[in-house]
Amino acid sequence: MTKTNYIAGSGPSRRTVLKGVGAAAGAATGLYAPFVHAQTKTIRFLNGEPSRESVRAMQFAAAQYEKEKGITVQMDSVPAGGAFDKVQASIKGGRPYDIATLIFVGDVLLLAEEGKLAPINDIVNKYDWGPKILFPVDGDNYWYPYDYNLCWINYRKDLYDAQGLSEPTNWDGLLSNLGALKGDGANQLPHGIVHPIGSNGATNYTAFGYMWANGVQLFDDEWNIILDSPEMAPLVGEYLDFMASLSQYMPPAPAQAGWPNLVGDFQTDKISHTPGTGRLIDTMNVRMPERASNVSSFLYPSMRGDMFAVNHGYDGWVVLDTAMTDEAMKFLEWFSDEHLINFLHTSPVHYQPTRLDIYEDARWLAHPDIDTFKHIIDMQERVLSDENVVIRSIDTEGPYADARAGKVFRSYALPEMLQNKMLKNLSNEECIKAAAEKMRSAIAG
Amino acid sequence: MRGERTLYSILGVAVLLTGLLILYPAYHALELSFQKLDSFVSEPEWVGFANYGTVLRLPEFWAAFGRGIVFALSTITLQVVFGIAFAMLLNAQIPLKPLVRGITVLPYLLPTIIVALTFQWMLDPTNGVMSDAVGLFGMDYIPWGENGAVAMSLVIFLSVWIWTPFVTLAFLAGLQSVPDELYEAARVDGATAWQRFWHITLPQLRPVLTVVVLLRAIWMFNKFDIIWLTTRGGPLEATEHLPVLAYRKTFEMYQLGEGAAVSAISFLILSVFIFVYFYFFPLDEKGS
Repeated sequence: MTKTNYIAGSGPSRRTVLKGVGAAAGAATGLYAPFVHAQTKTIRFLNGEPSRESVRAMQFAAAQYEKEKGITVQMDSVPAGGAFDKVQASIKGGRPYDIATLIFVGDVLLLAEEGKLAPINDIVNKYDWGPKILFPVDGDNYWYPYDYNLCWINYRKDLYDAQGLSEPTNWDGLLSNLGALKGDGANQLPHGIVHPIGSNGATNYTAFGYMWANGVQLFDDEWNIILDSPEMAPLVGEYLDFMASLSQYMPPAPAQAGWPNLVGDFQTDKISHTPGTGRLIDTMNVRMPERASNVSSFLYPSMRGDMFAVNHGYDGWVVLDTAMTDEAMKFLEWFSDEHLINFLHTSPVHYQPTRLDIYEDARWLAHPDIDTFKHIIDMQERVLSDENVVIRSIDTEGPYADARAGKVFRSYALPEMLQNKMLKNLSNEECIKAAAEKMRSAIAG
Repeated sequence: MRGERTLYSILGVAVLLTGLLILYPAYHALELSFQKLDSFVSEPEWVGFANYGTVLRLPEFWAAFGRGIVFALSTITLQVVFGIAFAMLLNAQIPLKPLVRGITVLPYLLPTIIVALTFQWMLDPTNGVMSDAVGLFGMDYIPWGENGAVAMSLVIFLSVWIWTPFVTLAFLAGLQSVPDELYEAARVDGATAWQRFWHITLPQLRPVLTVVVLLRAIWMFNKFDIIWLTTRGGPLEATEHLPVLAYRKTFEMYQLGEGAAVSAISFLILSVFIFVYFYFFPLDEKGS
């Protein structure tokens, strides 16, 4: 019967049978993947937020999209720091991701310049964005930033209240508060604050807010390093002296400290202040909500109290130039309208919105934590509008977004400047000169 | 005939795998060392020996080379000394010998990442058990993140702790092939324990020693994981040797050509060492 049908042409043709066999064999061996990929319209998404809640929100959105549009979104999750390497490997391997998370603007620029990204102007231009979060290349936007990831100083508000302290507005004020809270008496803790100074991302991200607030610039308009210039060197020197003063309030060995200390030492009552993002509050709110309600935050102050800073972290998505680019764009636009707020709610204080409309969106405001931590949300909004607050980071320094700032970030020249000051007791001039030379070397060629 | 076919099949698979997993990546790395590119997806630009010239002019290259020599020499010496000592102990008549032998090998079985993280936690200045322990001697903590010499000592200690069991096993196997008659004859002649060790044990172990030192030299000169996972080459580059420098240039600074050049030079240095080593310690000579 089957044979008869086959010969008569009413069943599958010989070509179809061969294609089916080929596809099955190919799928089984993995060699036929591109064919299957194209036929079933699968978008490959590299997610750089691997927390359980964020992954779950992404997977829920992907399932909804498949249900509504019939297009599969295949989600891979990696820690954000490893996303760029994975994107490069996917491109070199011939199967690039269609959408990916990136956390360095330098990486975005590099991929854009190599023609690996698709501009997403139509999506980006639909919204109003906060300051210093879009990094266009020759007028084109290649990435969709979903959070600011700003770093500020978290502190124990209950201890401040008990001792009648107010939030510091300059370095002397901070040192005074740290002194009042350090000790073994009532409403005191063994140490004041931890700032990692080792050559790692934690130092790059959390240690330089005071320097930004103090007005230090790394580059001039021509991308020359000006850290050791007559204008900047005194400001950097003030910062180095302040960090040396701060060390008396730190737990021992800040060069060994990293991300775990920033969170762990604060949660276990070893320090009264810790630099970080809203992630600390979100995490504490899940495990110890009564403790989380005792946490508040302030911005990095300057020496003279005239300026404040936050350190920029920012995360975003890019669409790669692939056979599925159009579908990836459609998904990103749909996700942006329908599911972004759900995703932001998976860490509501940490994922500070980049789009200004979200701050007014009833769906975002409906999350109870937005109200519970209104004092921090208000501070986040102040960052976006207050002229006395700067949003800065090593990798976004310079007259415009450029890979050179990222090279300085990855050279760890600035953490080494701190180490030379705090471990080797070198003079400010020597520390600054060594850092400036290393930065010049990093961006040379 | 059938046996030969099997033999050639197995050989073919081995050659294919070696080509795919070793020769091609090595060729690609060498090719990269003659190119300039800012990422793995950039268009390469052929620059000849420029990367080699740049790298060889870098003070940090020579500093890293020196640190690599210090690290390799220290770890090899200590691993061999402790390895022979432990092997002799395990070869002697001791109670619960199988259990003791099993325990001796344990550090070698642990993944390096586990060792690095465990020691980091134990050495944590605020919460670490080692910080409490050194408190008994008036120290607050072990300053491996602050003091370069301490950091280098730490990675040397960890390397010796993890990889001495390999050396111990190799020497233990060698010791078991030494005929007892040699020791009995020496005892009859009135040789002391030291004389028996110097004139019998060590010469008999020479072939094993030659291979072990060679293998350890190659592995320790190229050893990356324990240093990167523990100190990341710090503080202030105090533990940065050539593999760490190559990694930082390639995967942090994305100076791929220079990173590959560092690796290629490192490979060349090691190759020269191996030729010189075999010249002075040829394997075909029986220790006597």
